[in-house]
Amino acid sequence: MMFQAGAVQLLCLTASSGVPLFCRGRGACRQLPFSVIGSLNGVHMFGSSQDAQLSSTVTEWGRVLWRVYHESITLIAVSSEEGASELYLERLLENVFSCMVLILGLDDLANIKNVERLKRDLRSCYKLIDSFLEVPNEDVGDLTHCADCLIPQEPTILQECLDGFSQAAESEFGCLLVDGKIVVATEKWWRLAPQEVVLLSFLVRSLGGSSSRDYPVFLPQGSPNVPHRLLCFQLLAGVDVCVLCGPTPSLQKVERELVCRFWSPLIDCLRICVRLKGRCFPGTVSIPQGILGLLLINRDNSRALCSIQGFQESAQSSASFSQERRRELLRQFYTLATTRYFLAEPQGEKHRALTEEFQFGFTHEPVQCYLVTDDCKCFGIQTPQYQCFVLTTDSVPTFALRSLATRTLTALTTQTAF
Amino acid sequence: MSRRLVPGCLVLSDWYRSAESKEFFSSILYKNRRKHFGLLEGPALPLKLSVDTVSYKIFVCGKSGVGKTAFVAKLAGLEVPSMHHETTGIQTTVVFWPVKLRENGRVLMFRLQFWDCGENAIRRFDHLLPACRDQADAMLLLFSFTDRSSFDDLFNQLARLSGPENGMLKLVVGTKFDQFMHTDVTEKELREFQQAWAVPVFRFQSSVSGVSQPALEDVAPLLNGLAEHLWNQDQLAVSLQTEVGVC
Ligand SMILES: Nc1nc2c(ncn2[C@@H]2O[C@H](COP(=O)(O)OP(=O)(O)OP(=O)(O)O)[C@@H](O)[C@H]2O)c(=O)[nH]1
Ligand SMILES: [Mg+2]
Repeated sequence: MMFQAGAVQLLCLTASSGVPLFCRGRGACRQLPFSVIGSLNGVHMFGSSQDAQLSSTVTEWGRVLWRVYHESITLIAVSSEEGASELYLERLLENVFSCMVLILGLDDLANIKNVERLKRDLRSCYKLIDSFLEVPNEDVGDLTHCADCLIPQEPTILQECLDGFSQAAESEFGCLLVDGKIVVATEKWWRLAPQEVVLLSFLVRSLGGSSSRDYPVFLPQGSPNVPHRLLCFQLLAGVDVCVLCGPTPSLQKVERELVCRFWSPLIDCLRICVRLKGRCFPGTVSIPQGILGLLLINRDNSRALCSIQGFQESAQSSASFSQERRRELLRQFYTLATTRYFLAEPQGEKHRALTEEFQFGFTHEPVQCYLVTDDCKCFGIQTPQYQCFVLTTDSVPTFALRSLATRTLTALTTQTAF
Repeated sequence: MSRRLVPGCLVLSDWYRSAESKEFFSSILYKNRRKHFGLLEGPALPLKLSVDTVSYKIFVCGKSGVGKTAFVAKLAGLEVPSMHHETTGIQTTVVFWPVKLRENGRVLMFRLQFWDCGENAIRRFDHLLPACRDQADAMLLLFSFTDRSSFDDLFNQLARLSGPENGMLKLVVGTKFDQFMHTDVTEKELREFQQAWAVPVFRFQSSVSGVSQPALEDVAPLLNGLAEHLWNQDQLAVSLQTEVGVC
């Protein structure tokens, strides 16, 4: 069989002539034979020539999704993963195209002048693109298009420091991240398109290891044709601060003159943030017992809190639910809930394409849903401002799920500024 | 740079193996691996051992794919990428390395900040190259033993750089030395090159090893050699200044 189970392949071709530009994959996959790539593209092209837009298909071994961007670039996702959702693949393709714009700019992608050159230039996107294909996914932002956040113990002093630092670096756009999750960001940073915020968080994390960076970026929505400079500094292992700048100041200047001056006094505060990794909110906020993980989304400002660690729980449940598994279960439940029940995007238009037919039959909008499996349970609540998804052990009685989820939502939203 | 340095004449090249150096090196290790420091951090030594830290900016350059990023990762004890991912923009990495001077037995902590910039990014964005060169203390010119054209390119690079104002320390590093069997560059050519340009040449391999051991012996010759040349350059600058002062 050509497609092994549990693999995702990503193909990129020129839309006009079907020349393959690159191919990335995850899982046990070999590069697809040229003839298969040709057929996958051919069937889509045939559709277009008949005025029919082929956007996805499901077969017995998996799912295929096609998207064309700016009539210039075709992206095809082929997944043979069990339970691969259309939502996930759709977001994956959007993210991948945004990665390409972020690094190369829209001009070069929308008006291809030299295919060989583009092919070469695209290689510089692989690292970022691969970070979206990585398993396990460290975050959920790729799926929710809401920025993954970490709520610090002392947000105010961190915020003040970041604002001062950004200003001194001649930038209105600044962001402090722990492990790729936003701790604080300047007001302007939050005004970037949610997907851009997610993309920049992924970018900073994919940069790993290095001490500082001067990284040219095009903002897919805000500035697709004029590059900015993303200056990024690793303060402690896993703690990065970054600013978006114009031509000045230089990396060296900011690093030598500003980094230590602003951040050294807060080193202990930053260390405390690092310890919240995995839990993502302060220990002072207490959460009902029985919870294994939670995903809280603020729909107003497109921020997400995904917590999979640091709960009071039995030795048995900590052993049988690894962090990866918790995150994966929350991702799957989120997908189920938002594609079947909750309207993820109030404007609806885009959502409609992703939803399956049957729930258009609903005359009401569900605000709660739950799921019971062999060894765990999930409960989701939607309010005008929030979506809250909790994962619990199967020992929690089903009738208690609602109150558990409600209390969790209340605790987090009243005791923090999320 | 007319004075030719014999390796080991200024710093003790085998010092990292000695018992005496253990405490110093343990400050750059963590659980038997290389420790990584954020910009706000540095190695912590017991008070009685405290030493001066000397900082340098080192620009690493060479054709795309010669192994600049792998080289820096290897020196820092980071995971060496097995795939070639083009570096987009500038990426700096700080490496701490303790060194003992031969002359007076003084120990110094070298803080070496390597500036690595993807060659294709340099071509796409004008501001990157000047940023890397600005106030750099040394320049490492990398070529790959498996890529003849990267070696030929050295001549152009050196010729371009030899403006009178550019007295910056230059060292050449041949990468992928583990692929010596398939080399495109002979020892003879290398010797001739070294003589013609009077630049030190190092041979290096960033072979993809685990990060499980600190493997100091893999990086010590290069880091000691680099430290030695940097220190020598500083000493020359100082003596030049005092001479000028006397006149
Ligand atoms: N065998 C072997 N392979 C190496 C060595 N150094 C680098 N490589 C490989 O060479 C390829 C390119 O290395 P990089 O370090 O990414 O190249 P680069 O010079 O940074 O390239 P740009 O960022 O595009 O300018 C990678 O696949 C490395 O694994 C080495 O010493 N030995
Ligand atoms: Mg590189």
